[in-house]
Amino acid sequence: MTAPAIEPSDINLNNPGHFQREEFHELLRILRHRDPVHWNPPGEVSNGFWSITKYEDILFISRRPETFISSKGIAGPGIKPEKLAELDFAAQQQNAGGNASIITMDPPRHVKMRRLVNKGFTPRAVNAMEPEIRRITNEILDRIAGKGECDFVLEVASQLPLAVICGMMGVEQEDWPLMFELTNKVLGSGDPEYQTDIPEEERGTGQAARLTAMKGLQTMLEYFRGVLEDRRQHPRENDLPTILLEAEVDGEKLTEGDILQFCFLLIVAGNETTRNAISGGLQVLCQHPDQKRALVEDPSLMDTAVEEILRWTSPLHHMARTATQDVELRGKTIRAGDRVLMWYPSANRDEDVFPDPYRFDIRRTPNDHLAFGIGEHFCLGAGFARKELKVMFEELLRRFPDIEVVGPPERLRSTFINGIKHMPVRFTPER
Amino acid sequence: MKVRVKADMCEGHGKCEKTAPEIFKLGDDDVSIVLIEGDLPKELEEKAERAYRLCPRQAIELIP
Ligand code: HEM
Ligand code: SF4
Repeated sequence: MTAPAIEPSDINLNNPGHFQREEFHELLRILRHRDPVHWNPPGEVSNGFWSITKYEDILFISRRPETFISSKGIAGPGIKPEKLAELDFAAQQQNAGGNASIITMDPPRHVKMRRLVNKGFTPRAVNAMEPEIRRITNEILDRIAGKGECDFVLEVASQLPLAVICGMMGVEQEDWPLMFELTNKVLGSGDPEYQTDIPEEERGTGQAARLTAMKGLQTMLEYFRGVLEDRRQHPRENDLPTILLEAEVDGEKLTEGDILQFCFLLIVAGNETTRNAISGGLQVLCQHPDQKRALVEDPSLMDTAVEEILRWTSPLHHMARTATQDVELRGKTIRAGDRVLMWYPSANRDEDVFPDPYRFDIRRTPNDHLAFGIGEHFCLGAGFARKELKVMFEELLRRFPDIEVVGPPERLRSTFINGIKHMPVRFTPER
Repeated sequence: MKVRVKADMCEGHGKCEKTAPEIFKLGDDDVSIVLIEGDLPKELEEKAERAYRLCPRQAIELIP
């Protein structure tokens, strides 16, 4: 007996279960082949939305940041307007600072804000940091070297991005675990494991997720209020909070709310994505032992391997936009006000762009994947993410060439982040 | 066809130079410089289009 065929009209992507159970690749493939501009009907609380699954269409939308704006929300379908008041969510958001960061900002202000910090993220700046990134990486690996086994996510993958971004933000080392916890709350808010402020019997609901994200945001903003207080008295060199305090846009200083949101974005955006690319990267390498061996023997394959890991893992499942006018796309009419979700793992397996896309190939060239998005909001930290991945896999495979995943990874329950929460590994300890 | 790089968008990712070294060069300030003033020779147009497509910041403008 074969399972009944899934019709595009059966597919509802606003279901974190599909992503936790890794069913999403198959669902996205069906949409991409049969209904590439797909209307996903509204849920109880959430808006309906368009699912965009073709590479070319994501380019089309990303090229038009005035027509497809970010300021109405970038993650998920959003909550129905009539439900917002009921949930008291909007009011809470106001209290939490109100202002927007660049990721939810539109032209023309977006690029002006981005230019305040982007010199710190250029290939030149990233290369200058490489020795430091290598030093941190080896410090992390020193801590597991004698153990022979560990939870790769907690002890390795999460530690490097955390150290790098906290270093740039001048967050003291004793506070890194707090930043880790808060990032999990914000980006993994839908996962009961991170809903620690919610009574146990109420975990797992949409409301629990919203409250968890809110709590994470508020605590982080509170923390950075303290950092700003300190930097006003004691400015530092090469320190992003100091740079933001001194910066001006159109002759005006940034408000405290603007700066807080910026700090929050940098911590959150830099952490979980890179962590999951590292964990997912090791997972897929272990699933392809021949390619892992090739990489151990010839580290010069690392650059193309990193790009393939990014394509394969696509650490962000989607980014959302909102249409400001009616737009025709493949015979469908996206109406002004409609939410649009761009599914990166689908674009990154689009047969029209990638030959044999479901094959993992560390030598794949060209490999113009969209894991970092493209255009106006192209990932500011892409250079750091690439460098962290490269250095981590160079050092990891040099020191522990026989490292193996020894149990099923525990996946995150999220439609937004392609996350792995825990992944047991074993390796020959260093003596 | 003419080529322009929007200096406020370019962040020095260098995809353009890699794709079409005849047309683009990364300057010392990490902003891409267009090496060919005026119209591109016909045989470079395809490469220019490829660079336009691949630039992660969509900082390249093609002017017909
Ligand atoms: C593998 C790791 C990473 C992935 C897959 C990733 C992915 C993305 C994507 C897809 C976007 C586009 C958002 C949009 O179009 O709306 C983005 C934006 C952004 N990313 Fe990353 N990112 C990663 C690592 C980092 C790191 C390490 C940092 C910081 C050090 C960072 C900082 C940012 C910021 C600030 C933005 C907003 C840019 C803007 O709106 O102009 N990211 N990222
Ligand atoms: S690819 Fe685009 S962003 Fe990168 S250097 Fe060239 S023009 Fe600038």
